Amino acid sequence: MKGFGRYVSRHLALFLAFVCGLALCNVLIFGAVFRNVIFPGEDAASPAGLLEETAAACSREKITEEMAEKLREQEIWAMFLDETGTCVWNVELPEEIPMHFSIQEVAVFSKGYLADYPVFVWDAGDGLLVLGYPKDSYTKLLSNYYPISVVRRFPAYCTLMLAADLLAVFAAYTFSKRRILKNTEPVIGAIEGLAKGEPTALSIRGELSGVADSINRAGELLRGQQEARANWIRGVSHDIRTPLSMILGYAGRIAQNADAGEEVREQAVRIQRQSVRIRELVEDLNLVSKLEYDMQPLQKENVRAAKLLRSYAARLLNQGIPEGCAVELEVAPKMESRTLSCDARLLTRAISNLVQNSFRHNPQGCTVTLGLEGDERETVLFVADDGVGISEEKRRELEKKPHYLESMDEELNLRHGMGLLLVRKITEAHGGRMELESEQGKGCKVRLKFIKNIQNTQKRIANL
Amino acid sequence: MDGQTFLHTKKILLVDDEPELLALVAAILKDEGFSKIVTAGTVKEAVRVCQSEKPDLAVLDVMLPDGDGFFLLGQLRTFTDIPVIFLTAKDEAADKLAGLGLGADDYIVKPFLPQELSLRIFAVLRRSYKAEEPVVRLEGCTIDFSRAEVRKNGEILNLTAKEHALLETLARNEGRIVTVDGLCEALWGENPFGYENSLNAHVRRIREKIETDPSHPVSLVTIKGLGYRLNVRK
Repeated sequence: MKGFGRYVSRHLALFLAFVCGLALCNVLIFGAVFRNVIFPGEDAASPAGLLEETAAACSREKITEEMAEKLREQEIWAMFLDETGTCVWNVELPEEIPMHFSIQEVAVFSKGYLADYPVFVWDAGDGLLVLGYPKDSYTKLLSNYYPISVVRRFPAYCTLMLAADLLAVFAAYTFSKRRILKNTEPVIGAIEGLAKGEPTALSIRGELSGVADSINRAGELLRGQQEARANWIRGVSHDIRTPLSMILGYAGRIAQNADAGEEVREQAVRIQRQSVRIRELVEDLNLVSKLEYDMQPLQKENVRAAKLLRSYAARLLNQGIPEGCAVELEVAPKMESRTLSCDARLLTRAISNLVQNSFRHNPQGCTVTLGLEGDERETVLFVADDGVGISEEKRRELEKKPHYLESMDEELNLRHGMGLLLVRKITEAHGGRMELESEQGKGCKVRLKFIKNIQNTQKRIANL
Repeated sequence: MDGQTFLHTKKILLVDDEPELLALVAAILKDEGFSKIVTAGTVKEAVRVCQSEKPDLAVLDVMLPDGDGFFLLGQLRTFTDIPVIFLTAKDEAADKLAGLGLGADDYIVKPFLPQELSLRIFAVLRRSYKAEEPVVRLEGCTIDFSRAEVRKNGEILNLTAKEHALLETLARNEGRIVTVDGLCEALWGENPFGYENSLNAHVRRIREKIETDPSHPVSLVTIKGLGYRLNVRK
């Protein structure tokens, strides 16, 4: 989102530069076109220049023939009035122009037009030289009088106007930027969601509706693929069950068969043990993929955490645990009544995975402690053993390295072992977090921490 | 005749569309000592066999060629209320609820260990068909649940209602740990809390009645932090 904001700001700078450039261009073009007006005198054809030239070329009595000719060429008429307002001589004076002017008439035309001819006058000392340009050739601003205070304030007005204009442009820009952001925000949010693999359902009208449709389609496609993957895994785990039942069943029968030799029975027990491993792996794989894609609705209920641990421990002991191993329970007295809103089956599964991990990694035997601790805010379930533990290096690897289920990088040396991944997924689905603590030779402890009232902080809500 | 042998006389109906699996389950149950086993491969056949053979327990597969196990259960329930265990390749929780909601007694997910299967079948049978002679023999005494009496050294001691319920729960799970929570629920109903001291008191009084040396119990033993276990003399 921030990146986009920066992009728009850069956009603003570009926009302002463009406006400035445009203004400069306009000034230059204006200057080129109206150079004659801006710098008069350079060109003799301008009224001021011609007046001066004519004045030099005439007197009260007459005008030189060359000058008269030059005026005629430009279709300009001229006349010379004496002090009484009487025309002394003229060049091509139109007929409608009288030969005598009163002082009022002179005052009126000297500022503007005479019979619609734009006229320019020159004080020749002993009279008034008047040049009349063709009709519609020049325009004269007649109201060229302004209060001096206004003229003085003119630069300030200009600056103020410019500032106001800039402000208006900026306001318009901000408004449009806001509109763009408002429209694009959900789009960007949806794209970010897509990147995280979350489902999207955008509904936008207007110019961006096409984009929204595309994103929705992409989301559906992604979701479809994820579902296909999860269904595929579920299908495999389903189809493998019946054959695995047969293997487990017959291996079990051979293991119990007194007629079979000692060695054969021993081998049957191994087949059975490995088949159980396959069963666990397939179940873990299936659960992980379902949790990953939110396809496993949590069936939450308020469960006493102590009761959950005790039930699991009792079941574990009733089923039998490996030789040399022991299971203990450690419930902090104040946590005895603590309830957790959770899917008891899944949480038990997580605990079970941790316990089985401890058994598996300590074939020489170990004591596994199931515990419940915490404070007002937090409920902590832990599984600890006093076994071989894991090295710091291995621990970091378990925490940092992505599991092969979570990565597409085939080159990377990826972590295996589904058990811990499933524990983390289950914990996270409940809004909690998993912490692994271990030291080489000093056992291993995994804590599952849940903030109290996890139903509030929890993202995924059981939709049942 | 002890309880186990009595349960072995029960007739069990197995329904699965996979003949090999049927054969396997039948073999496992025969190994366990069950002699009366009937099988069926379809819903239709299962209904027919059930009507003609009148089994005492049915183990049903969920996926059958002509309908699912839940439908079959509905069919069976129209004329019998024998206990039913589902055996299925689906482990979805929803299926589980549907199964138990329909009045199934238990649910086993494939793949299963043979021991698991026979344990569950025994548990359901034990719940459904009480042994004709409800007497449990312990080290140094016997408990007669029908009379709520303990006979020890020719002496007859009476059990209170709570003691009877507690011992019965433990006896039903003989040799296995029952959690404190499980026992409290059996005595005081759903979600009891704070009854641990009362439970301890009941256990102490029971030990005085059934144990030769109540301070060193051998029958009703404590499993630290978890609960209790009743050791039954075979």
